[in-house]
Amino acid sequence: MNLMQYMLAQQAIEETFWRKAPGQGLILWVVIGLALGTGLCFLLSTVPTNLRKKVIFTFTFLAGLPYVLAFLWPRPISADFTNDVPRNTGEQIGFFINQAVEPVGTLTNILGGFLLGVGIFSLVRVHSIRIKRKQENWGYSLVLLSSFAIMTVVGFWDWRLRAFVDQTGALNVRDNWQPVNYAQDLLFEGIYQQMDSAMFSMIAFFILSAAYRAFRIRSVEATVMMASALILMLNLMGALTYAWGEGINNLVVQTGNPFLMNFKLNVFADWLRSTMQIPAIRAIDFGVGLGALAMGLRLWLGLEKGGVTA
Amino acid sequence: MDYDAIKITAGVVATIGLYSILYKENKFYRFFEHVFLGLAAGYTIVAQWKDTLYPQWWLKMFGQVADVDAATGAVTSPAVPGNWIYAAMLPIGLLAYLVFNRKHNWMSKIPIGVILGLWSGQQIQIWWNTWGPQIYSSMQPIIPTTFSTLSVPSTVEVVNGRVMPIQDPVALANVQQQLANNLYLTQALTNFIFVLTFASAFSYFIFSFELKGKFLTGINKFGRWMLMIGFGAIFGSTVMARFALVIDRMSYIVNEWVQALTQR
Amino acid sequence: MTIWEKMQKVDRRILYAILVVCVCVGLFFPTTIPTDPDPSSKSFYAEVMKLEKGSTVIIQTDWTNSTRGESMGHFENLMRLMMHGDHKFVFYSAADPAAPQVARTVLARIVAERKGQGLREYKVGEDYIDLGFFPNAEATNTTMGSNLRSVWANRKSKTPTGGEVDVWQTPVLKDVKNIGDVDMMIVVTASASIDVAIQRLAQKVPITAMVTGVTGPGVLPFYQSGQVKGLAIGLKGVYDVEYMMVNGINDVEVEGKKVVEWDKVGKVDRVNEGTTFSRGRAYYGTLHVALVLLILAVVMGNVAMFASRRRKGDAV
Repeated sequence: MNLMQYMLAQQAIEETFWRKAPGQGLILWVVIGLALGTGLCFLLSTVPTNLRKKVIFTFTFLAGLPYVLAFLWPRPISADFTNDVPRNTGEQIGFFINQAVEPVGTLTNILGGFLLGVGIFSLVRVHSIRIKRKQENWGYSLVLLSSFAIMTVVGFWDWRLRAFVDQTGALNVRDNWQPVNYAQDLLFEGIYQQMDSAMFSMIAFFILSAAYRAFRIRSVEATVMMASALILMLNLMGALTYAWGEGINNLVVQTGNPFLMNFKLNVFADWLRSTMQIPAIRAIDFGVGLGALAMGLRLWLGLEKGGVTA
Repeated sequence: MDYDAIKITAGVVATIGLYSILYKENKFYRFFEHVFLGLAAGYTIVAQWKDTLYPQWWLKMFGQVADVDAATGAVTSPAVPGNWIYAAMLPIGLLAYLVFNRKHNWMSKIPIGVILGLWSGQQIQIWWNTWGPQIYSSMQPIIPTTFSTLSVPSTVEVVNGRVMPIQDPVALANVQQQLANNLYLTQALTNFIFVLTFASAFSYFIFSFELKGKFLTGINKFGRWMLMIGFGAIFGSTVMARFALVIDRMSYIVNEWVQALTQR
Repeated sequence: MTIWEKMQKVDRRILYAILVVCVCVGLFFPTTIPTDPDPSSKSFYAEVMKLEKGSTVIIQTDWTNSTRGESMGHFENLMRLMMHGDHKFVFYSAADPAAPQVARTVLARIVAERKGQGLREYKVGEDYIDLGFFPNAEATNTTMGSNLRSVWANRKSKTPTGGEVDVWQTPVLKDVKNIGDVDMMIVVTASASIDVAIQRLAQKVPITAMVTGVTGPGVLPFYQSGQVKGLAIGLKGVYDVEYMMVNGINDVEVEGKKVVEWDKVGKVDRVNEGTTFSRGRAYYGTLHVALVLLILAVVMGNVAMFASRRRKGDAV
C-alpha cells in the first residue's frame, strides 16, 4: 500500500458539526464534550428540590419517546432507513424517529455499562471494609478480591493482546498462545464456566429432595398439578412412549378400532399440552403482559409511586 | 500432565468444591463460592468494557481510521468519524455513583430513569407484536361443521396385522380432504376446552376481587385448576432441565475428566 | 417410629447419593432409544432443513455453561445442520457477555470435527461471522428490526488469511440490507431473550428456537400462535433433533414403516454426513433414569405420608 492510497482512504470521511475525522482535532472536541457533560451535571446539582422529580421524569420520558413514536408513526413497508430517501414530510419524520431508535439504544447501553460498575464497586467496597476491619471470615473476602483482581488483569491483558497486538489472528491458534492467554482460558473456561454449570445443576438435588418430602397430594390443586407434571415427564421418556405406543398398536390390531390411537402416550400428552397447558401458560403470560404494559405506561409518564420519579 | 488435563482437573476440583455443600456447610465450599463470585465480577468488568463500552462508546467517540489491504490497496474497513458528544456520557453515567453520596444521591436516579424510560417505551411498542397473534390464535372455532362422525376420521388402517397409514392413495387423499374441510365434534370440544382454559385461567389471574354466585366462583375454581395444569407443565419441563445439568456435570467428571487423564 | 415415618425422615444426603450413583451408572450405557419427536421439534427440524443451500441465517446464542447440559447439545446440532446446508451465518449474544466465547469454543470443535471427517472446513469471514456481545437485548433486537445495518455498523470480522474486514463487506452479509433479507433467525437460549426477540422481530423474519427445559413452556404459546416456526425444548429436544438427523421425517423406513412420521410436512431428508448422534444420545438414556427416580420419589413420599397417617388414625 502506498501513502497516497492510505491518505485517500482516510479522506473518505464526510465531517459534520457532530462527527469529526479521527485525529488531534477530534480529541479537542472530545474534551469539549466532556466539559459540556460535566457542566450539565453541575447544573443539575443546583436544581431545587421541588424540580428534581421533573428532571428525572424528563430524562425517563425522552428515553422512551422514540420507541413509542416508532410504533405509532406510520412507516413504509420494508423501509431501509439508512439508504432510502423519504418522499414527503410524513416519511421524513418517520425516518428521523426510526433513525433515533439506534442512538437512544446505544446511549442506554453506555449508561447500563456505567451502572454495572456501581454493583462491582459496591461489592469491592463491602469486602474491602471487611478485610480492613478484620471482620469474621475476612479471609474469604480476600479470596474474592484476589480472584476478582486476577481475572480483571488477565482478562484485559488477554484482550489487549488479541485486539491490538495480534494483527494476523495468530492467537486464534493455541500453539501461538502466550502465558496470559493460557491463564485467561484456565480461569474462564477451566474454572469459572465449570463452576457456573455446577451452581445451576445443584438445583436438581434440591428438586429431588423437595419432590420426596413436600410434593404431597393434599388438595385437588396439588393433584391436578402432579398429574399434569407426571404426564409430561412420562412423555419425555422416549423408551416408555415407544413401548406404550406399541402396546396401543397391538390393541388396535386386535380390536380393529383406530380410535384407540388417541390413547398413545405421546398423542395424549400432545393433546394435553396444546389444549390445556399452552392456554394456561398463555393466560399467565397474558396477565403478566398486561401488568408490564400498565407498569410501563406508569413509569414512562411518571405516575408510578415507587418509580424513579418518586 | 498437559494443559488440557490441568484445565479439566481444575474444573473438576471446583465442581466438587461447590458440590460439597450438598453434604454440609464447609470451608472448602465457602472458598470456592468466593472464588466464583470474584471471577464472575472480574469477567463482567472486562466483558462490559470490551463488548459494550469500547465498541459502543469509545470507538463511536474517537472513530476509526480506515484499514487498507497492504497487498491490493483495497479498503477493507472504511474510516469512521468520531462523534465527540459521546464524551458527555461519561459524567452522566458516573452520576450513578452518587448513590453513595448523601447530598446528591437523587442524581443517581437520572441514568436509572433513562434505562427505565427505554424499557417502558418498548413495552408500549411491543405489546401488540407480542399479543396480537396470540389473541388471534386463541379465538378457536367451537361449533362443529359436521356430525357425520363424532370423532376425526382415521388416517391409519390395519394391514397384515400391523397399523399402517391408509394404503390406497385415493382413499387417503379423500380422508385428508375431509379433515381439511370439516370441524368434527371432538375437535370442537378440544377447541372449547382450549378457549375455556384460557378464559378461566386468565380471569382467575386478573379478577382478584371477591366473586359472588355459583357460576363465577365455579369458573374461578376451574381457572385455578387450569393454572395448576400450566404449573405442572412448567414443573415437569424444569425437572428435565435441571437433571440435564446434573447429567452433564457427572459426564464432565466421569467421561471428560477420566478421558483427559487416561489418554495422556 | 414405623418404617413409614422413618421413610419420611430419610436424610436428604441419601437421596443426593442415589441421584449421583444413578446418573453416573446411566452415563456408562449410552443407547439409541426409539422416540417420536415432539411436534415442535419436528417443526424446527423441517424449517431448518427446508432452507435453500447457502441461505443466510442469524444465530442469537444466549447460553453459557450454566445450561451446558442442554444448550451445548442444541448448539452442536445447530452448527452441524448449518454446515450440512452450507448456510452462511452470523452469531452474537444479546444476553450474556460470556456467551460468545462459549459458542466460539463449540464452533471451533465442530469445524475441527468436520475437517477430520473430510468435510468442507467452515471459515470465519467467508462462511460465518462472529459479532460478539451486544448488551441490552431489548434495544439490540428493536434496532435490528428497524435498521439492521446501524446495529452492526463498524463491526469487523477476522478473515481466513488473518486480516480484518468490515462485516458488511463479507460474503455473509454483503447482500443483506435489512432483516427481511435474512432467511431465518435462530435463537439458542437459556433465558427469556427468546421472548424479547419474538416481540421485536417475529413479524419481520422467520424465527425458530432451541431453548432449555426451563424456558420451553413459556415459549410454547408463541409456537402455537405461529410466532415461532419451530422449537426444540431441553434435552428431549436435543435428542429429537439428533434422531431426525439420523432418520429424517417421513424418510427412513424400517420394515416398511417410517421411523419418524408427521402428516404436517412431506419428506424431510436426513443428514447423511458427519456426526449425527452425539450429546443427546449420550445423555438421553440417563435422563430416563433420573426421571424415574423423581417419579419414584414423589410416589414413595406420598405413600409414606398416607401410610403413616393411616397408622396414626388406627392408633386413635
